[in-house]
Amino acid sequence: MFETVLIANRGEIALRVARTCRELGIRVVMVHSTADRETWPVRFADRSVQIGPPPARHSYLNPAGIVEAALREGAEAVHPGYGFLSEDRDFAEICETHGITFIGPPATVIERLGDKAEARRVAVDAGVPVLPGSLEALGNAVEAKRVADRIGYPVIIKAVAGGGGRGMAVVRDGHEFLQVFRETRAVAQAVFGDGRVYVERFLETARHVEVQVLADRHGRVIHLGERDCTVQRSRQKLIEETPAPALPADLRARLGEAAVRCAREVGYVGAGTVEFVVDDENNFYFIEANCRIQVEHPVTEMVTGIDLIREQLLVAAGHPLSVRQEEVSPRGVAIECRVNTEDPDRGFLPAPGVLDVFEPPGGPFTRVDTYGRAGLAITPYYDSLLAKVVVWAPDRPGAIARMERALSEFIVAGAGVHTTIGFLRDVLAHPLFRDAKHRTSLVDQMLAVSACDAGIRTAS
Amino acid sequence: MGESLDSGALLEMLCRQARELIGAADALPRTVRVRAGEMSVEVEYSEAPAPPPAAAGQDGAPGETAPATAGGHVIRAPLVGTFYRAPEPGADPFVSIGDEVEAGQQIGILEAMKLMNPVDADRAGRVVDILVPDQTPVDFDAPLLVLAPADS
Repeated sequence: MFETVLIANRGEIALRVARTCRELGIRVVMVHSTADRETWPVRFADRSVQIGPPPARHSYLNPAGIVEAALREGAEAVHPGYGFLSEDRDFAEICETHGITFIGPPATVIERLGDKAEARRVAVDAGVPVLPGSLEALGNAVEAKRVADRIGYPVIIKAVAGGGGRGMAVVRDGHEFLQVFRETRAVAQAVFGDGRVYVERFLETARHVEVQVLADRHGRVIHLGERDCTVQRSRQKLIEETPAPALPADLRARLGEAAVRCAREVGYVGAGTVEFVVDDENNFYFIEANCRIQVEHPVTEMVTGIDLIREQLLVAAGHPLSVRQEEVSPRGVAIECRVNTEDPDRGFLPAPGVLDVFEPPGGPFTRVDTYGRAGLAITPYYDSLLAKVVVWAPDRPGAIARMERALSEFIVAGAGVHTTIGFLRDVLAHPLFRDAKHRTSLVDQMLAVSACDAGIRTAS
Repeated sequence: MGESLDSGALLEMLCRQARELIGAADALPRTVRVRAGEMSVEVEYSEAPAPPPAAAGQDGAPGETAPATAGGHVIRAPLVGTFYRAPEPGADPFVSIGDEVEAGQQIGILEAMKLMNPVDADRAGRVVDILVPDQTPVDFDAPLLVLAPADS
């Protein structure tokens, strides 16, 4: 096992990774920007290196600073967390050329799966269903429209290099196609530096289900069951749970097998996620694969008892996975709520500030992954995830009740600070969520209703 | 998209566009304008990002002590790396205490990933203190050297 690992991330995931390292006796080096100097993960680490100013481009996205810090501190491996450089094939390669192990799949695998059109091809080769669409990036708008017309509207135009729910647009009418196609290409070029896009059928009312996979360098590929991430706003996940509710057992088994086939097909190594949409007839389709630890990984840990970060470290160090497929036996139900510093009353705009009060929940079967502390200054430079509240219970009603209890305990206050706690409680209380009949449209439905109520109040 | 939008939906769409624009940039915008009639999204940035909150000294950083820099101008490390005072081992240092330097004059080298990056004085002055010994690893923004302004 490694003696020293550098964590190239910040916030809750940096602390999450550091904790498992500490449990394994691994020395932790944390890199940080000047904005994060006083944060808990930096204080928790054995060593820290300030690598740049607040903008991520010059700190957490700067390979030179991170590799320099790793070499200086004698780190044998770099854990990239999620976001930032976690799915950057160049960074993975730079680490390897400097003799540092990148904790993630090989650069070639990141490259293949990072190209979403190529990832669709991997799924097809693995015999996994994909949504009707183009198997290649479409450069020509007229040709692309022919594809869209053939598969039928609505369609979604997606950036080949996209991710994190960005660089995609839905077209519901063929007349709009050419304009939206050009806009999406322009956005993709501006945001990802790669203007290539592809087209696939868009499901208006789907469930979003993803499967956690683990693979080692000794040929073992297993899955740890699925997570339902259907509660989303603007394609950003808000609540995740496992097992996926209201899915037949045989479908869940087939999803797991399909994910393993995709991972085998591409030669996956480490922890990864294969994402699917499931329609109302329980057909499932591959949408993409993620080469990183996911924000929502704790729900899988809660039901399987497997520490995913530990498995990542084991695999990266060349060891076999600690479990075999037949030893994976998920038990009960786990739910995660993402508490963001955003203001739901103002379109979920980021609402940073200093946390004067920060009282996270505790109690039975309740886990809070956060870097929050009273006095923490939430800066506007990074994403707004403050805390993940995760609960476990033997069944889904019990887990919802426990989450409701946990969120009711959670107090965050400070000048200008707002959180999504109240909105998350509204979702938990929603009849469609309670009955597991919700689809990806749930949050938009809720927001439309509340906007309508506000309009009625204003009018009267 | 693909349907005619009422002004509320239009405004919501514009807000979303604005959020995406803001999210795509590293710096915080100075002003954001969103109009619905005739559609418009404008995001304006300042020249430089807001400075980080000031903090004294860097606990635990190697080779650093809280510098006594009262009144002086501090030259800081522009990147993480190893600081060298001289162009090569055994050579004379770029600058020593008491030297007058001009703006733009090289005062040291920061080596990062085998690349030698010159560190220049960003203003003229007299070197009154050198805070980091030769061949010391430093963090980004670590104080390296103190100048007394040229006119003092």
